[in-house]
Amino acid sequence: MAKEMMLSGCASSAQAAKMAKVEVISSYPIRPYTAIMMELSKMVANGELDAEFVHGEGEHGQLSIVLGAAAAGARALTGSSGVGVTYAFENYSPIAGGRIPLQMMIADRALDPPGDFGSEHTDAMSCRDQGWLMGWAETPQEAFDNCLINYRVGEDHRVLLPQFVCQDGYFVSHIPGPVSLPEQSQVDEFLPPYNLPHPLDPKRPVSHGPQIRPDQGTIMDIQRAQAMLDAPAVIREAIDDYNRIFGRKYAPFVEEYMTDDAEIAFFLMGAHTMTARHAVRHLRAKGVKIGLVKLRFVRPWPTEEVAQALSKFKAVGVVETSTSYGGAMRGGNLLHEVRASLYELPQRPLTTSFMAGLGGEMVSLEDFYHMTEVLSKAVREGKTKKTVYWVGFEAED
Amino acid sequence: MAAAIKTQNLAPVKLIRNVPKEEYYLPGHRTCAGCGPALQYKLVAKAAGPNTIFLGPTGCMYVANASYLCTPYAVPWMHTQITNGGAVASGIEAAYKVLLRKGKREGEFPNIIVMAGDGGSVDIGLQAMSAMMYRGHDALFICYDNEAYANTGIQTSPTTPYGGNTTFTPPGSAIPEGKTLFPKDPPQLVIGAHPAVKYVATASIAYPVDLINKVRKALNVVGPTFLHIHCPCPKGWGFDEAKTVEVARLAIETGMWNMYEWDNGEYRYQFKPKKYKPVREYLKLQNRFAHLSDAHIAKLQAFVDAKVKAKPVPVEAAVPKAN
Repeated sequence: MAKEMMLSGCASSAQAAKMAKVEVISSYPIRPYTAIMMELSKMVANGELDAEFVHGEGEHGQLSIVLGAAAAGARALTGSSGVGVTYAFENYSPIAGGRIPLQMMIADRALDPPGDFGSEHTDAMSCRDQGWLMGWAETPQEAFDNCLINYRVGEDHRVLLPQFVCQDGYFVSHIPGPVSLPEQSQVDEFLPPYNLPHPLDPKRPVSHGPQIRPDQGTIMDIQRAQAMLDAPAVIREAIDDYNRIFGRKYAPFVEEYMTDDAEIAFFLMGAHTMTARHAVRHLRAKGVKIGLVKLRFVRPWPTEEVAQALSKFKAVGVVETSTSYGGAMRGGNLLHEVRASLYELPQRPLTTSFMAGLGGEMVSLEDFYHMTEVLSKAVREGKTKKTVYWVGFEAED
Repeated sequence: MAAAIKTQNLAPVKLIRNVPKEEYYLPGHRTCAGCGPALQYKLVAKAAGPNTIFLGPTGCMYVANASYLCTPYAVPWMHTQITNGGAVASGIEAAYKVLLRKGKREGEFPNIIVMAGDGGSVDIGLQAMSAMMYRGHDALFICYDNEAYANTGIQTSPTTPYGGNTTFTPPGSAIPEGKTLFPKDPPQLVIGAHPAVKYVATASIAYPVDLINKVRKALNVVGPTFLHIHCPCPKGWGFDEAKTVEVARLAIETGMWNMYEWDNGEYRYQFKPKKYKPVREYLKLQNRFAHLSDAHIAKLQAFVDAKVKAKPVPVEAAVPKAN
């Protein structure tokens, strides 16, 4: 039977990696993801997990180590946070383009300057267009589940893509929450052994990554893009199986909360969704017609699901926890994609972005109430005043 | 962590006619006529045999070999970034350890060989190379040294000799000697600071049997090993492509290149001239040194004199300071 425990996101992620029977792990210390590796190193030291634990010489080395391991035929895991995520950047395209389905767990963190250890999505979001699956967990339970779901989808031969499995630093990574740990037999039923089509094996010689001519480049890009196009069907299958085997109720791409008859909604992902849920519940009790939509995958971006979910509202507040300096919306990254998703709809909701939770700041209930006022006003006036609100830093809305 | 699985014992060859006929680095690649690195690749691949995985960090031996979806490799090969040959090799080694331990792969532990240029070894690739040596992975790191970033159009690297004319160190009225720095010493870098390493050697394409035997010796060691192989580059150095081997031999005869093994703390020297020829004889064959004045040559000669007289004590044998 499943075991109920209180675990932080880092601890639950390590448990998931153990149950996924990862074979090569590469580490390098940076807060807050470090705790995942601390847990795993104990498991390896105790003999609970039969894996090679390699101390990387930096995040670039970490990604290189798991690239080699996964290309040789071993299930591989690494992870990082903040500037560690960006230090490894060179490797992201070769790994995705080489179609090596390794996993990187990111407990996110603000980028420098100045040194700030708080949570922010910008580190991982800066890497979102390289051909990796990517999504955030709201709870330690979801962090656990996303590890297994992402290995299954990424390793599927119809997809073969690496995975950024993200959680908010501290809010998820370090605050314990209830986690239901399944039986190993359930995990084994869900996740087949790692099976790369063309591993590096002297018995079957193969060359990985020869140079190409410029005119050969597009076709490879099309294949990588196609893998992303093919991924949603595989994600749906995996989520169906996951819900069946583990008794969960995940929606594959967008989860709706109290959206029946809602006129306004928050759109967000990750840890702050939990506070938003409470805010929505309290506001509902006061008669405000509000709901929320939670995003589970940033890549592949679920265009139709987002459009469908948001089309029924009059106004949507996109809660951004990342920056896109100089971007079209002048704020974060998500509103770009939300607006693009809504563009083809005959009737679009009003949308605006709320810059909140940057640098690891709390997004409080009061903040969500304030955002609600902005959205309600937009509905009354039939327009949004701005595309971006820096929550807590606006003189007058 | 895991017990060593390697049991192979690649036998030394006595004479060039005993060298295996089988090729694992096949003809048809796109290297320049007279390419020193290509010649050493062929010899290394012969020495290692079929149970081998090559890693190719970006450089001439990537771009000119595995070009346009072709491959000259009859054994598994993978491109790595110029930065990370040592780290990717570490991951492959770790994977084989666990896969063999779990019975997911069978047979002999493979020879894992990083074939990196000088930049991919001791410049941008230094961190990953050093980490592989430090962690004790069972892999061979080869620095095939053509003394420049040749693939990108002959720019200076840390192993370009003093006085070298490269496209980033052109001689001019303000900087008449071209390159003003003295080179890094790759094998001493490895020997000096990596206790897991038990075998390091230098080799040259001028002496193929010695090269093959050093490769085999390195591959028989369980743990990280390092070879520094001198590979003249006709295009980069500016000499007749028929003279690659002659230039390589002159480097040894003048003391510009030194042949030795470091075997678990003990030095052994090979092809050490009784009397060194003047470096000028080596320089005069190469356009990259054509601009040097007598004063520059004297400076280079003094550097070589100090180097070849150095006692074989690893830490103290560091390169003398420039100027």
